[in-house]
Amino acid sequence: MASIKDQFVIPGKMKTWSYSLIGVGLVALLAGLFTKGFSKDEHEQAVFWGTLMYNTIFWTLVCNAAMFFICVTTMAWGGWQQSFRRVPEAISTLVPIFGSITFVVLIYVVFIGHNHHIYHWIDDAAVEADPILKGKKGFLNTKFFLVWTTLAITLWSVLGWRMRKLSSEADQAAMDHETGASFIKRNTVVAAMFLVWFGLTVGSTIPWLWMMSIDAHWYSTMYSWYTFASSFVSGMSLIALWVIYLKNKGYLEYTNQEHLHDIGKFMFAFSVFWTYLWFSQYMLIWYANIPEETVYFKHRVQGPYKGIFFLNLIINFLAPLLILMKRAAKRNYTLVTFMAIVILFGHWIDFYQMIMGSVSKEHVTLGWLDFGILSLFVGLMILFTGKALASKPLVPKHHPFLKESILHHT
Amino acid sequence: MSLLKYESQLREPLVNGNKTYAQVTEDIVRPIEAKPSKLWYIGFYISVALLMFGVYSVYREVTYGIGQWNLNKTIGWGWDITNFVWWVGIGHAGTLISAILLLFRQGWRTGVNRAAEAMTIFAVMCAGQFPIFHMGRVWMAFFVLPYPNSRGPLWVNFNSPLLWDVFAISTYFTVSLLFWYSGLIPDFATVRDRAFTKLRKRLYGIASFGWTGSTKHWQRHESLSLVLAGLSTPLVLSVHTIVSFDFATSVIPGWHTTIFPPYFVAGAIFSGFAMVQSLMVVVRKVFALEDYITIGHIEAMNKVIVLTGSIVGIAYLTELFMGWYSQNKYEGYTFWYSRAYLFSPYGWSYWGMMACNVLSPQIFWFRKMRRNLFVTFFMSVLVNIGMWFERFVIIVTSLYRDYLPSSWSVYYSPTVWEIGFYMGTFGLFFTCFFLFAKYFPTIAIAEIKYVLKTTGESYKADMTAIEKESASDFAHKVHAH
Repeated sequence: MASIKDQFVIPGKMKTWSYSLIGVGLVALLAGLFTKGFSKDEHEQAVFWGTLMYNTIFWTLVCNAAMFFICVTTMAWGGWQQSFRRVPEAISTLVPIFGSITFVVLIYVVFIGHNHHIYHWIDDAAVEADPILKGKKGFLNTKFFLVWTTLAITLWSVLGWRMRKLSSEADQAAMDHETGASFIKRNTVVAAMFLVWFGLTVGSTIPWLWMMSIDAHWYSTMYSWYTFASSFVSGMSLIALWVIYLKNKGYLEYTNQEHLHDIGKFMFAFSVFWTYLWFSQYMLIWYANIPEETVYFKHRVQGPYKGIFFLNLIINFLAPLLILMKRAAKRNYTLVTFMAIVILFGHWIDFYQMIMGSVSKEHVTLGWLDFGILSLFVGLMILFTGKALASKPLVPKHHPFLKESILHHT
Repeated sequence: MSLLKYESQLREPLVNGNKTYAQVTEDIVRPIEAKPSKLWYIGFYISVALLMFGVYSVYREVTYGIGQWNLNKTIGWGWDITNFVWWVGIGHAGTLISAILLLFRQGWRTGVNRAAEAMTIFAVMCAGQFPIFHMGRVWMAFFVLPYPNSRGPLWVNFNSPLLWDVFAISTYFTVSLLFWYSGLIPDFATVRDRAFTKLRKRLYGIASFGWTGSTKHWQRHESLSLVLAGLSTPLVLSVHTIVSFDFATSVIPGWHTTIFPPYFVAGAIFSGFAMVQSLMVVVRKVFALEDYITIGHIEAMNKVIVLTGSIVGIAYLTELFMGWYSQNKYEGYTFWYSRAYLFSPYGWSYWGMMACNVLSPQIFWFRKMRRNLFVTFFMSVLVNIGMWFERFVIIVTSLYRDYLPSSWSVYYSPTVWEIGFYMGTFGLFFTCFFLFAKYFPTIAIAEIKYVLKTTGESYKADMTAIEKESASDFAHKVHAH
């Protein structure tokens, strides 16, 4: 009986790194709070809270995308991902944590800070004077915002927790045909519930509510699917990073180049898919040239965000397209690591321009605060993913499809 | 041990019964060699009759002009473009199955890919008729091709999505045809090798390009398939994306919406799978191919239908929501009056669409329903009716009342020649499909043989010993090997 390194032990170095990153992040957070958050200038306040918003929303959606990956592969009866499925599971444990941060930040912006520089529609006087915003009150109102935000984050967390709990059953005892079949079935039911809820939130309402409503007049039916694509390709990249990290430490013996190749395919394919949605949204608005719609792109293409606008396309489309297209690239640990970091950074920038491009139209504020807050979230992500990985075996050794994953050829 | 591929016994076999390679060939080629049944002749003649009716309808349109149809101001596009988009949409499933499902390694595609690809090609042929004959002066149709010409500065309009359609659809058609045909070559050779008359041997010999089944042939065949799959994948998305641009680049309320491209693609796959289901439920019965197109195959396709139906549902609701959220009066009027208000002139068509496309496929959440052939067939027809209404709703409800109330049009209903043209494309489609089913192997023989030893029922039964092994023992064996 061959035994494998199945129990992740958090290395000291990882702890040091995560605590240092969190430390840097907290310093930046406090500095930001005192220089901008407490500033008398409403614009400065908006920049501070906007920076927190796009970071926390980005990381919440990225970690939720890891659970989306589990649920989608479960529904499709996938076998290949079983050998490393504990990685996306571990990442998804961050949904309640980052979700709570998102909740606190959003509730502060809407209810305590009354930051109408961010959400114009919470300013009652302005809404009364503006027939368009008045007309939107059925959706853009603080009560609905509170209820829907709470519900979204709670259900993502609860359903994700159910999926992880089910997954633990595969650690306990060998399954025969019948128990295996019922195990798969119960997984499918929870995964289906997650996906339906995902469609009703990430696939539609949540990006409208949290992000699109910053430009309270503007609208685009593509917006939510675009946001989803951005977060999903980042989620795949994050999974790739952790898989490679664990491989380098000698874990995940059953996972090999074949699996990495397939994760790489997802990173490649969904980078192209993101670009497809990007192009569809941009081209249609450009072609029709209606001022109500082009207003969104005006300062992004021709104003201060011009550099970021094109950078977004280069790192999120051209780089993955050219670098990840070849088979050898997707099987190369170093290259996939590099590209995963590029893609994660690229879509963080994408979220930056989606939110800050609307909060601060006149100036690009990208600076120490952004990277400081990013450091806080990366630190938290490393800390809690590491803890989750260490909390149970890295391989669900009795999962009925695990053997398919062991003998996987791409 | 030498184990190259292993599949859990929890997965249903893709080939039922105790089949050998010879049996597979026998089962699939038999219908080609036998005389067609009475049912085949009846079906074929009905199709040809429909086709003839279509030809006559088109003859009237070409001779007397577009006035033979009931298009009017402001409904310049009616049944013609509805039918065009409908057929193009149907023509998406084949290439999705052969290319995208290949990339996703869905083994069940082998049972249905051949027929689905054939259907794709016939559907695109039908689709092409509508814009061509809508030109009116069809003898000028070659004007859509951009080439240095004697018409002076008269070029095609490169800014128009209608022209992009010409490129997208002709490319898609070409690649799909090549893909389909390259898969057929080894199977034609199989038919040739069994031929019992000289003529048969000759014809299938030509069709198979002298295939010998040598390793070199297979190697080239495999690399070609991969290249074509790579090319087809973006093409599957591009065609309906560009069809959606026909509408979405405009500033017409209800047409100009950014979600159109992915939503059209999802809808196209949805209707394409429905058409595959309609055909497969019949084909497997008539040609006794139940062991190859199993209930498991039908179930898998029904899952795709409930998935794409729900994606389309989210898109419908997104549009409807934005019709209100945008607070744009024209969008609001189109979505909430012309479409969603049941008692507006065309309100019935919107709710027909919603019922067929969004509500009814939800029964496929239940396994029993997914595996019921009667329900599957009924639903597949319903979905295609719904998808026809979707295009009708988009086109007609956005056009019949434009910005200028004085030009609002009267109620539009098609003439008999308009309907005849549509019926004629059914004739064309089924004539082609009947011929295909008679003369071509309806299932990819070589591909079934490829998956037989890992997913065939009798072979899977042999894997019980492996099934009982622990993961670490299994891994040890695999890697030691």
